[in-house]
Amino acid sequence: MAAITTSADLERPKRERFRGARRRGGALGILLSPVGLLVVLFVLPMLIMVQMSFVEFPPNTDSGYTLDHYREVLTNDLNLKIAWRTVMIASISMAIMLAIALPLSYFMAFKAGRWELVLLLGLVLADELAPVVKVYAWQVILGRNGILNWLIPGEPIEWLLYSRFAVIVTLSTTYITYTTIPIYAAMKAIEPSMFEAAVDLGAGWWQQARKILLPLAAPGIFIAMILVYIPMLTDFVTSDIVGGTSSVMMGQRVRDLILQGGDWGAGSALNFLMLAASGILALVAYRLAKLNRIDA
Amino acid sequence: MADVAGAVEPRVALGAGSVRHTANAVGWAAFLGVVALALFGPLAILVGFSLNDSSILAFPFEGLTLEWYRQALADPTLREALANSLGVALVVAPLSVILGTLAAFGLTRFRFRGRGMVGALVGAPLVLPWLIIGIAALMGYARVDLDLTLRTVVATQTICTFPLVTAIVSAQLFRFQRVQEEAAIDLGCSRLQVLRHVILPHIGPALGAAAIFAFTWSFNNYEISLFTIGFQQTFPIWVYSSVRNPDHTAVVNAVSTLISAFQVVTIWLAIRLLRSRGGGALSIVGDRAVAAGTVAEGSGVPAPVGAPR
Repeated sequence: MAAITTSADLERPKRERFRGARRRGGALGILLSPVGLLVVLFVLPMLIMVQMSFVEFPPNTDSGYTLDHYREVLTNDLNLKIAWRTVMIASISMAIMLAIALPLSYFMAFKAGRWELVLLLGLVLADELAPVVKVYAWQVILGRNGILNWLIPGEPIEWLLYSRFAVIVTLSTTYITYTTIPIYAAMKAIEPSMFEAAVDLGAGWWQQARKILLPLAAPGIFIAMILVYIPMLTDFVTSDIVGGTSSVMMGQRVRDLILQGGDWGAGSALNFLMLAASGILALVAYRLAKLNRIDA
Repeated sequence: MADVAGAVEPRVALGAGSVRHTANAVGWAAFLGVVALALFGPLAILVGFSLNDSSILAFPFEGLTLEWYRQALADPTLREALANSLGVALVVAPLSVILGTLAAFGLTRFRFRGRGMVGALVGAPLVLPWLIIGIAALMGYARVDLDLTLRTVVATQTICTFPLVTAIVSAQLFRFQRVQEEAAIDLGCSRLQVLRHVILPHIGPALGAAAIFAFTWSFNNYEISLFTIGFQQTFPIWVYSSVRNPDHTAVVNAVSTLISAFQVVTIWLAIRLLRSRGGGALSIVGDRAVAAGTVAEGSGVPAPVGAPR
């Protein structure tokens, strides 16, 4: 009996203590180390990078501040050319990925049955394998003596590797998982009985796609596009390994400015511009995701 | 248009319908085959070449050999690179699990002012490109005169990896009714007992999976390592420099095969762990953006696979 009364007595204060801690210091204590490390190792370096982009002779911060690096970066013809090419390569790859991801997510969400999980597992597995190895594997396929040139009769085709073609092919397989999953998640929320109703009302597959599937999946599609653009615009591994001089991309340009040229001013200015672009795109996607959630 | 006409009287021509059905199934199978080929075909061919008795990457295959595996395992530079990657990943993974779990608890179990800001901050490394983070880290370390070593690699990789753990663990905590914790407290459990008997059994598998994914992210990372490392090499950096050397490619194939085989097994294990608690978490791993959304506000968690709509 005594034990029971004791535990009943303990119950209330304990619970209040728990809740009180939750309201006051608890969050601070738990979040202190992860957030503190993020501030020191993530936010501060970003600020230092921004500072460097305004310093006249980085990394010497006493040399005065200037806007010259931005002026130089934005008026340099080579930069503009590379930026334009990067956007083109990323956009073509994006179009190819959407052509694959849209039917794939439709199949996963509505048709796959017990294969749905298998496909999702396959996509995650494909995404998690070493990226450098995956890109290198395309060298083996597209090379002068690669499997494609072996399959295609006649003289070996030179432009298969170390070309824009190779970069586009490789990029469009690299981010399939990132493109498919948001679209699949959006489609998963669509009521399948809508398609049945549409069929009963005489709609064909094209009308179903245009009037039901695409409008309802649109937020997922936009989110996928935006969030795959961000890594594609800064990708330098792919164009380094399978690309050539005609496919130099923005990521390579910035990497070379910093690591080879030692030009921290121009490098950090370009880097900050890319950071700003990525940040804005990410915010837009995030807003879209939120709107989508309220609608649903 | 033909489709519309067919749909008006769909049940009349049953035979035609089943033909169309079969044609559809064949079409889908072909499509999925092409996608699978694009995703895994290159790696399969790499495996083939790793066993090919020729140092030139050319078809057709010339015979079986294990020579490249022998050379790969004997290469001192490669062994050092592998040891470095392994060492870094073995530190980054547990650090990420601890930091990521703390952040997940803080963000899902507490309401406080600035929660949105903190969520966005933790989610940011998942969305922002590693190239940009790597360059910023390089400049940050230079600014405070810190020598670049494996330690700087560990530091920057950890802050880019623990948000993934936060996303995976948060997804589990969201799905888990807080009522259960409160019921345990009402029944007289101490906070430690709640942790041990209620929370840990629930998020345990996710923690295991998160550790494996954190290890894999760290091991595979090229961009951050490139900018924050000193004179050493990690495995991805070694591959990167070796693929430019035509004499080396057979060895790259062999070691890539070994690493990929190991990763297929461990990632499969991690996926199984996540699956045992519903498939929603899978999407988080497969998509950094979904992960960032989960961290920032608990949005973007898709319906668990196979759940009734």
